[in-house]
Amino acid sequence: MTSSPAALAIPAEIEAVFRAFLTCEFSTLAKDGTPITWPTLPFWDTASQRFVVTTSIGFPQKAYNVRRDGRVSLLFSEPKASGLERPPAVLVQGDATAPDEIVTSFTGNEDALRQTFERQPSGMIFSANPLIRYFSDWYYMRLLIYVTPRRILWWPDGDMTGEPRRIERLAAEGMEGQEASHAS
Amino acid sequence: MPVDWERLTSQLARYESAVLNGPDRDGYPYSVRCHPQPDAATRTLLLSDVTAPLREGPASLLCHWHDERLWNQRSFVARGQLARNGAGWRFTPTQLIVGLDNGPITQGRLFMHARGVAARYLAKRGLPRPIIPWAEVIRIKHEAQANLRARGERR
Repeated sequence: MTSSPAALAIPAEIEAVFRAFLTCEFSTLAKDGTPITWPTLPFWDTASQRFVVTTSIGFPQKAYNVRRDGRVSLLFSEPKASGLERPPAVLVQGDATAPDEIVTSFTGNEDALRQTFERQPSGMIFSANPLIRYFSDWYYMRLLIYVTPRRILWWPDGDMTGEPRRIERLAAEGMEGQEASHAS
Repeated sequence: MPVDWERLTSQLARYESAVLNGPDRDGYPYSVRCHPQPDAATRTLLLSDVTAPLREGPASLLCHWHDERLWNQRSFVARGQLARNGAGWRFTPTQLIVGLDNGPITQGRLFMHARGVAARYLAKRGLPRPIIPWAEVIRIKHEAQANLRARGERR
């Protein structure tokens, strides 16, 4: 794992959630400041300590919102089929970028596509035969959104009525580091 | 334009919980699971179990569901305004956006809509339609199928 002084010390139970949950609730900010949230398949990269979220150019609004305002969040609150017993609910608030580049090659991203097929086997139908491939090519024209966590909050056992535990980067320029709070 | 209250509450009734999303004090989106209670008299949703550090103002509510294999998905988002209500919150919906649904007509419409949006995305930038490396997709698909079989998860 690549580590830097600014890297967050993310507890193993939290990284397990990042890897095992099938979806998260991903929020971007609309023009009027409304957080617009849709279920999304996130990919956590431990080495770079950031998430990659992708969206088709057929649904580009998430990317448009990020290009205007990079403040986003990912909530992991639906543990169905994760295989985890009583996992925490986790909220990641972070800063995102969404380059205006359409990605169609899977070189370097094979794992993400393989994970997508394994999480969602029926999605393989979109490449089932030449006719379906013709009509669904837009699905594979992807925009990438990179999310660097700024603050991570979590609620043991997924009970979000209590006070969360948290870790976050310090915001002061030149003093990037982290602080932790374990209110319970 | 007021939201279709009956349609919203019938949609809401299909889900065990919802996700409330509002900006926090720093302006970052903050999401929390909750159990909205419709208040027919005011046509608002009461959120008595939410103690999150949200700001009053624009907010949204998401409900979504999928099966164990991330299929049969359904979802909707309600946009609206969030205001304090005692120790909890009150959400006034102003727009209902239906996302995925099981029906073939809804799915077909969404599929064709996305195809049109994609065409306009390319046209606006003067880009040719990219060629998808289908051989690569199919190779990775076969690897995924092999992995699922190895884990005994392939139906």
